[in-house]
Amino acid sequence: MAVTVPAAAGQGAAVKGTSLWQDAWRRLRKNRLAVAGLFIVGFVVLASLAGPPIIEWTTGYTYDYIPRDSALIRAMPPLTGPDGSFSWTHPMGTDNAGRDILARVLLGGRISLMVGLISTLVSLVIGVTYGAAAGYLGGQLDDLMMRIVDVLYALPYMMIVIVLLAMFGGQSPFGQLILLFISLGAVSWLTTARIVRGQVISLKNQEFVLAARATGVSALRIVTRHLVPNTLGPVIVYATLTIPSVMLLEAFLSFLGIGVQAPLASWGSLAADGIQNIAIFPWQLICPGVTMAVTLFSLNFLGDGLRDALDPQMRKG
Amino acid sequence: MFRFVLRRLIITVPMVFVVVSLTWGLIRLAPGTFYSQERPIPAAVIQNIRAKYGLDQPWYVQYGKVIANTARGDFGISLRYLGQPVNEILWTALPVSATLGLLAYLLALAVGVVSGTIAALRQNSGVDYSSMAAAMVGISVPNFVLGPLLVLLFSLTLFWLPPARWEGFSVNLIMPVLTLAAVYMAYIARLTRAGMLEVLRSNYVRTARAKGLTDRQVLVRHALRGGLLPVLSFSGPALAYLVTGTVVVERIFALPGLGNYFINANLNRDEPLIIGIVAFLSILILVFNLLVDVAYGFIDPRVRY
Repeated sequence: MAVTVPAAAGQGAAVKGTSLWQDAWRRLRKNRLAVAGLFIVGFVVLASLAGPPIIEWTTGYTYDYIPRDSALIRAMPPLTGPDGSFSWTHPMGTDNAGRDILARVLLGGRISLMVGLISTLVSLVIGVTYGAAAGYLGGQLDDLMMRIVDVLYALPYMMIVIVLLAMFGGQSPFGQLILLFISLGAVSWLTTARIVRGQVISLKNQEFVLAARATGVSALRIVTRHLVPNTLGPVIVYATLTIPSVMLLEAFLSFLGIGVQAPLASWGSLAADGIQNIAIFPWQLICPGVTMAVTLFSLNFLGDGLRDALDPQMRKG
Repeated sequence: MFRFVLRRLIITVPMVFVVVSLTWGLIRLAPGTFYSQERPIPAAVIQNIRAKYGLDQPWYVQYGKVIANTARGDFGISLRYLGQPVNEILWTALPVSATLGLLAYLLALAVGVVSGTIAALRQNSGVDYSSMAAAMVGISVPNFVLGPLLVLLFSLTLFWLPPARWEGFSVNLIMPVLTLAAVYMAYIARLTRAGMLEVLRSNYVRTARAKGLTDRQVLVRHALRGGLLPVLSFSGPALAYLVTGTVVVERIFALPGLGNYFINANLNRDEPLIIGIVAFLSILILVFNLLVDVAYGFIDPRVRY
């Protein structure tokens, strides 16, 4: 017989359905901008993780290493040695204390990415719980809870975060990071809550939930096992876009001097340091600033690409 | 409509007090005081300071005073700018921030709506792609990087514009406004494009075309009105973001606006000034949000209160 395909399919394991995620991955791969974004983000993550030990091993520089030789304690332009000739020792130059800026930018990347990731996780926990509860419980409670979200949208919450960090911050660099994770997570959950609530409302009256309820599954289990997993697509998309926005907030706070504390550094605090000397040593601002902008740019493209891939109806085409 | 506005205004009052109470609580719970300093202060002096500012009274008396002050709209005397009433500081700083914010928003609106509309009309063309890429750059470059880079280019290299200082309505404003507006331009352009794309495919636009209106008439009379609704609803939160943005921009360009005072007040623990600015801006934002909602009803006939 000429037609062999149905026969092969009939033999069992040969036909595999494409799941939502495989489908999304295929579509994402076609989006060149999103793939480029993915590569750049991957590169930045790898560089911030593996970069500092490599630099320490090859040149002896760490983010807070100040040279013993006082002649080296000065700002040197990128790719320039102490004698003014070309040198690979400091690809991004040094700051006023003679510290290697590349090592500092990579450490800043670790901190900035960590704040972005963990704060987003915090916001997801709050947002998903709140949204799922409001959506599932419904009724007047839902009205009230969403009213509160509307109200919070309109408040100058960053001002309260500024007050919080200025008042309680500065105790220890580590404590400051924890404070940042929590406060930034606590102000970024509103949209997640709205998305999850909307999804839960549209899902909760479907047959599979009814079936679960009929077999005696508890409400908590229905929400956690049946409803929340089905909202993951849009939540992941939104989370990818929350990471850059949280990183921007962190940088903004660090720029004002109430975010990440010395000796740690983030891209925002490095940029703030760089601004002091912008007229004479512009690379001190440009290096961390451009690194941050490129990373955020890539994350945004990746997030947009993910949205298009996971939700074909939302596509711009 | 009237009832809707009234109800919203009534909700605004407790919200402002929640924000004020939260801020006050944070300041009070924090370790240290505004008079803490490196050098130890004699106990008698501390006692005098505490008595003068009412800090020796129980907390509920102090809290009551803060709430009463907020209700009267008189926030007392600044602890740092000695003898200066907070209200006086607010009224001198407000014009700076308001000029900055208003100009930035108008610029963002003009550039964003025009480029977003053009991008939507020529979807998937070079214009579309380049303006959306520019918008993405605008969203991704932090304003504290953009601002100094503008200074580096226009002040320190080309010597066209002064790098900082407030001189009222002058060329000094060009760079701060541009820095502040960049992000909103980008957001508005994206929102306009998305809104217009949806509206251009809708039935009522097809009807307008079918009855023989020119492209321009369809766009101006019908499509823009629906396509700009997302931009309008963004205007509410945008004001809250603008407040955050001015903090950085005022800092970069050394402008004596509310944002700059707010950061200094926080670093100095100037409680009356912090609470004054927080309360003032909260009221401003809440009222503005209400105006946006009311405007929504006028523009979109489907909305009923």
